[in-house]
Amino acid sequence: MREIRRSLLGWLAGIVGFSLMMLSIYPTIHGNAGFSKLLDAYPEALRKLFDLSDYTTGAGYLRTEVFSFMAPLLLAIFAILWGSDLTAGEEERRTIDALLATPVSRRRVVMEKWLALTLATLLLSLALEVLLGVFGPLFKLHVGWAPLSAVIAGSAFFALAFGTLSMAIGAGTGSRGMARGVAAALAVTMYLVSTLAQLVGWLKPWRWTSLWYHALGTDPLSNGFQAGHLAVLAFSIAALVLAAVMLFERRDFSN
Amino acid sequence: MNAQILDRNDQDPMTTAPVIELDHVFKRYRSGGGVRDISLSIVKGEVFGFLGPNGAGKTTIIRLLLDLIRPNSGVIRLFGLDSRADSVAIRRRIGYIPGDLGLYERLTPREILSHFAYLRGGIPWSAITPLIDELSLEIDKPVRTLSKGNRQKVGLVAAFMGDPELLLLDEPTSGLDPLVQQQIHEQVRRAALEGRTVFLSSHILSEVGEMAERVGLIRDGQLIAVERVVDLAQRSAHLIDISFASPPDPNFFSSLPGLRKSNVIGNQFHAEVTGDLNPVIALLSNVQITDLSIREPGLEEMFLTFYEQSHE
Repeated sequence: MREIRRSLLGWLAGIVGFSLMMLSIYPTIHGNAGFSKLLDAYPEALRKLFDLSDYTTGAGYLRTEVFSFMAPLLLAIFAILWGSDLTAGEEERRTIDALLATPVSRRRVVMEKWLALTLATLLLSLALEVLLGVFGPLFKLHVGWAPLSAVIAGSAFFALAFGTLSMAIGAGTGSRGMARGVAAALAVTMYLVSTLAQLVGWLKPWRWTSLWYHALGTDPLSNGFQAGHLAVLAFSIAALVLAAVMLFERRDFSN
Repeated sequence: MNAQILDRNDQDPMTTAPVIELDHVFKRYRSGGGVRDISLSIVKGEVFGFLGPNGAGKTTIIRLLLDLIRPNSGVIRLFGLDSRADSVAIRRRIGYIPGDLGLYERLTPREILSHFAYLRGGIPWSAITPLIDELSLEIDKPVRTLSKGNRQKVGLVAAFMGDPELLLLDEPTSGLDPLVQQQIHEQVRRAALEGRTVFLSSHILSEVGEMAERVGLIRDGQLIAVERVVDLAQRSAHLIDISFASPPDPNFFSSLPGLRKSNVIGNQFHAEVTGDLNPVIALLSNVQITDLSIREPGLEEMFLTFYEQSHE
């Protein structure tokens, strides 16, 4: 774990910086009549796409900027990079050989790595929550802890799902590039399916296939914890962990 | 040609049950290569050397033993246990140096080795320090600052810690300076003296010849021959190179019974002769020569000799 501690600290610093930057912009937007007029000018479709519904109140700003895209994205990027590093990265750096020569089962190796991923993702999510919750009011951003937690939970589950997917692909292929590429592409696709479903009629019934929809598409900031949807995410994560273990156990580690 | 498998078959089988058993093992990679029809038996306390050029299949075999890769067919058993089903139990008794050692760059050797000591079932640090001291290994600087030799030493300690019953060493001395090579040879020798089994691979003939009792030659994925080093030496030919003052008669040595090969290039005469060298000296006493060299063949030459002989 120590080897990756430095990476974790780097990510923490990044999230802190990002949060503060976003928060500092807020006061200038808050109550700015001119800005509201600008928003009204945007066509209806575009507003729905980027969720520009309520830019100037606390929840609206959070939802729009931080959570319509950036925060879950940041967490997901972290998780995807880490996930690929934990399996494929170890293989590419050739440290896997000595490790698997010790009397540990492959299953245990994967589970422990996944645990590390989960804890790290949780830690970063918590940091994000604390930052926004504590420093938000300083920037006149007032969101209750409950709605904030609901959104963070959705983002964290989303990130963990794709991090686990990245781990699984890395376990099965040994390629960090492939793991990251596929996981990222899928994440973006699911984001698009979820947001475009608001505009495109035939896409709407397919929303449920998108993990983004289950995480954030139901607007947890306004509607609170969505237990059913989080359950779907949890189930997906469990399935992905199983896949990661199976792929890792079947793998031929040749050079 | 069938591989010849020699066992120490003059003893009670209970005490000499094979530590390693490969039975008609096949492994084919999608990109080609791999190993074909490998059958081999290694008994307890043996030092066995695997010799062959790069890509011949030495690393493949070692990785098959460790369950890092799985065979297409065939049986692999270590300590009588199945290499895949009982992999964890087997690995509890094995030490391994990979051919391409990778270490966690940001950690120090101390951190890495204590981690491995824990994974190997809680080997006390006090048991590891003698080896660290013997190798003069710097353990408190991060790995990325270490030279290749020192990295390999870390791998060495990781493999030898806890005195495992079986050592699998894949090209253990490649790229190392002679001093470190000697230290590795020492550790292997000590392991053998303690009755532990060593299975090592190399493409360096002298190294295998120096450390191993039995040698297997592998080429293009097949086990071509398995012989005791002692037997090979006895059957192999001396290599004789003579520089004559003037172009010699090509049939110069043809009267010698032990003559296996000879050829002439200009004033140089090359011959391979087995057996007694005295007739050679007798023949040479009557001619004018400017230079003479008689040398022992290297391991590969010994093998080739053996290979050709078995076809006669």
